[in-house]
Amino acid sequence: MARIGVFICQCGKNIESTVDTKKVADEMAELPGVVYSCNYRFMCSAPGQEDVKKAIKKHKLDGVVVAACSPHMHEKTFRRACEAAGVNPYKCEMANIREQCSWVHHDTTKKAGTAKSIDITRMTIERLKKNKPLKKISIPVNKRALVIGGGIAGIQAALDIAEGGREVILVEREPSIGGNMARLSETFPTMDCSQCILTPKMVEAELHDNIKLYTWSEVEKVDGYIGNFTVQIRKKARYVDEELCTGCGDCLVKCPFKAPSEFEMGLATRKVIYTPFPQAVPNIPVIDAARCPKIQKGKCGICEKVCGPGAIDYEQTDQIVTEEVGAIVVATGYQVMPTARFGEYGAGKIKDVITGLHFERLASSAGPTGGEIRRPSDDKVPDSVVFIQCSGSRDEAKGVAYCSKICCMYTAKHTMLYKHKVPDGQAYVFYMDIRAGGKRYEEFTRRAIEKEGAMYLRGRVSRVYERDGKVIVQGADTLSGDQIEIEAEMVVLASAVVSRTGADQLAQKLGISYDRYKFFNEYHPKLKPVETVTGGIFLAGTCMGPMDIPDAVSMGSAVAGKVLGLFSAEEMAREPITASVNTMICNACWDCVVACPYTAIEKEEVRNKKGEIVRVNAKVNDGLCQGCGVCVAACRSKAIDLAGYTDEQVYAAISVF
Amino acid sequence: MEKAVKETDEKLAEEKQPGAAAWEPKIMAFVCNWCTYAGADLAGTSRMEYRPNVRIVKLPCTGRIDPLFIIKAFENGADGVLVSGCHPGDCHYTAGNYHARRRWIGFKSLMEFVGLDMRRLHFSWVSASEAIKWVDLINSITDDIKKLGPFMEYRGLK
Amino acid sequence: MKLTYYPGCTLNTVAKQFDASAKKSALELGFEMDELSEWNCCGASFPLTPDNIMGLSAPTKVLAQARKAGDTVMTLCSVCYNVLKRTNKVIRDDTDRRDVVCGFIEEDYDGSIDVLHFLEVLRDRVGFEKVKEAVKRPLEGLKAGAYYGCMLLRPFEDMGIDNCEDPTIFEDLLKALGCEPVGFPNKIECCGSHLALGKDNEEIVTKLSGNVMQSAAGSGAELIVTSCPLCQYNLDGAQEKLEASMPGYRPVPIVYFTQILGLSLGQSETELGLDTSRWDARPLLKEKGI
Repeated sequence: MARIGVFICQCGKNIESTVDTKKVADEMAELPGVVYSCNYRFMCSAPGQEDVKKAIKKHKLDGVVVAACSPHMHEKTFRRACEAAGVNPYKCEMANIREQCSWVHHDTTKKAGTAKSIDITRMTIERLKKNKPLKKISIPVNKRALVIGGGIAGIQAALDIAEGGREVILVEREPSIGGNMARLSETFPTMDCSQCILTPKMVEAELHDNIKLYTWSEVEKVDGYIGNFTVQIRKKARYVDEELCTGCGDCLVKCPFKAPSEFEMGLATRKVIYTPFPQAVPNIPVIDAARCPKIQKGKCGICEKVCGPGAIDYEQTDQIVTEEVGAIVVATGYQVMPTARFGEYGAGKIKDVITGLHFERLASSAGPTGGEIRRPSDDKVPDSVVFIQCSGSRDEAKGVAYCSKICCMYTAKHTMLYKHKVPDGQAYVFYMDIRAGGKRYEEFTRRAIEKEGAMYLRGRVSRVYERDGKVIVQGADTLSGDQIEIEAEMVVLASAVVSRTGADQLAQKLGISYDRYKFFNEYHPKLKPVETVTGGIFLAGTCMGPMDIPDAVSMGSAVAGKVLGLFSAEEMAREPITASVNTMICNACWDCVVACPYTAIEKEEVRNKKGEIVRVNAKVNDGLCQGCGVCVAACRSKAIDLAGYTDEQVYAAISVF
Repeated sequence: MEKAVKETDEKLAEEKQPGAAAWEPKIMAFVCNWCTYAGADLAGTSRMEYRPNVRIVKLPCTGRIDPLFIIKAFENGADGVLVSGCHPGDCHYTAGNYHARRRWIGFKSLMEFVGLDMRRLHFSWVSASEAIKWVDLINSITDDIKKLGPFMEYRGLK
Repeated sequence: MKLTYYPGCTLNTVAKQFDASAKKSALELGFEMDELSEWNCCGASFPLTPDNIMGLSAPTKVLAQARKAGDTVMTLCSVCYNVLKRTNKVIRDDTDRRDVVCGFIEEDYDGSIDVLHFLEVLRDRVGFEKVKEAVKRPLEGLKAGAYYGCMLLRPFEDMGIDNCEDPTIFEDLLKALGCEPVGFPNKIECCGSHLALGKDNEEIVTKLSGNVMQSAAGSGAELIVTSCPLCQYNLDGAQEKLEASMPGYRPVPIVYFTQILGLSLGQSETELGLDTSRWDARPLLKEKGI
């Protein structure tokens, strides 16, 4: 027979004013298995907790029910007290007679409150009788981190983790790290050159002893759980031996074939063997296999002939490498909505309608025009440029509902860059609102308007079309109420920041959630902004939504703090609320495998001594199981149960309802 | 039409058990820990008031709820049962409530088929911030079931 | 294939050539247009003001009538298409308004018909490839301006026939007929027809239609193709004014797309009513050797 102690809290007057706690305690004393029952003014106070401990010793209690506030409030407190007195913490339960009883039933005759408290406490006692002692699960932690994405957020996270003394695997899909920030000309509001502040960080990441770089690589498969992930990385064939290549660049010079440059967003060409930009890290070229005549048809082979160290290898194939890590940082960044999406702005058919990211390349001194603003169609320096803000943003009918956050600022920057480079030129900006929240941001946009001569027009553009080599922009100025037609020579769309193509597939590989725009979801928008719901997987930068460089860098550092925290102990402890399979009953229907949201259930093969499979059954991985219990209800043969919420416990509570 | 049904129901309840007005129904609520349980707590911390007829069984997620729990509750004296969890898309465990909803749809049609008055069985989404929704839900279910009278049909099964 | 066809008022009066050329072309492309035995005016654009429930009764009556004949109804006029399609959506989705309207016209109709435009039928049921194969007289060298106007495409979420900002259905058809389609900037701008009945609006209508014609002429269109009798009327009117006010402006013929279609399928110019246009297309065709 159980030996249960019941403690009814008065919570000062909070419970006592509508519940007769003495009567509840007396009634509970009569129940079988209850050997001690009392009421007290403040159970959670130090003397209250002491009373619990004393009663445990004196009455040799093996279980405790505290009828007081919500378990969300003090379950931990009382479980700790019980543990200190030698009772397994999971043999302590709370009956919620405050939030869900005394506070919501204002009957001062105490009739309703007392009756309900008796029911609630009795149900909890019966449930407790079926509780099993449980032990916290400890998981070993592999103290290496994987960072997916080598943009500024990923680089920052990798550097900070590496500086904290832990190994980092940095995986980048492109041939070089740097991300979108490497494309930018100058950065708002300080106007310092993007490459000048980014390149040193890229080099630092390459040279850091604790960072292992995989460029031109993608995450193929992720298994495991917090502290113990196994990651397969596809190293795409580079056709250049990374060990032998010295980065001399002779192959790039001699290669006779050209293709549009991805890095320059089609504004320039690159060779078929190429590095995306001169400061690439690592400075090792890649052969564009689809366009290389040697690889396709066996004709050419010039790069191999000119390569001094003999690094060219046309036979190279994709390699799968496996890395074991304890934490994963996702920093896969963003892309911009392409001009083809905007039917009213020429549907991508007008050459001189470009996105803001294209303009960055035109303004960059390392860009295709050497930093001169020349329009793509005929290289002419445009005498007027119209900037259209909120292209695709803040209008669900035309694109996305959200604000892309960075466009107001970079458009102001673009008008200034244009003005500095083309002093006689006129910049026009169509805007909805100017959102310049941030340190020195408002001052920056005011400068563009007041000092740098940009003409800001509040209103939307209805149509953009070509006429006689000009780009005609028709729009409304809602402040004057006029219809406007501007004969511009170039149009720059502040095109919406959108998630990366394939973001959803990566999320599925990782088991993290994403929103309707395929931006990854943080665990909690305010209090857990860099965590995901999957333990051990973190987010940094624009893969979770539009943000500017300072925000992305802050997130990168924040994530590093989280990862280093996780790595600070040899093992991590977690709540033992996990499912387990009774293998004797499991009939291997795999309904649970399908139902589990965490891929925590595996198919286990049981073999005899000869190594023959004698049975297959489901098996729950404790490290992955989050304790939701979906599998328990899904199991037809009742082979799965959830510790802490077993069928037995639930039925016991219902039986005294 | 609806009013007429209600009136007949009240009359029936009165016939079944004289003095039914004094009788109080018991309602069992199976709720998830993260949304509805927290929502019910919020009703308390906001000092709202609602009918004292509900008894809550807390589970980690509505996905954990076995339809058998509901039948057992009726067997053990529940006059009505409520299942409530996080709104679709808000599940703490990402998708548990979708499982619950799917299971619910099948279970509901079974219960309709076997002749359960569906005013006794409710499914709802109540988030951690929807204390008012919780209060309204409990009040309206309690009032409805009060009119229906005690539910005796399943008690003999025990 | 037999399709229930709703002509609408203009196609029986001022745009008879539109109706006749469509019917004949349809037969040659393998389907029959089965005109509703009884029909009334769609109500033009008036039914779609949000507070005018009773205005929905005329188009709903047409839809209910057509539903008795089958599960689709096809139109030629852009305005009829717009009104029927949008009314159908209201009747389907808004049960309150459905009850009022259907109660009034004493029809039991639930919005379950599919409203199609002749262009949609050509594209989705016949296929432009098939149309191309059927062409007997390719209209080579003819620079035809594709004018959509507004009613065919907007509002996009209701109409959905093509991308409302960058449509191509007309150009695709014209290409199939061997023409050189000219997409001009104002091809989806309104001609002003919704204002044409107001007596003080003449200036605005002239300006809107004039913009369309100037934009088309500027892009090199030698002929304008439309699917809307109201556009046709307005653009003709605008050209008269442009001719008078703008020295050097050369009016161009404005024809229905079914006339061009019929022409390429080998029908004669008089059959097609090309002689009835305000600006005669025949000299142009002769010049092109068609």
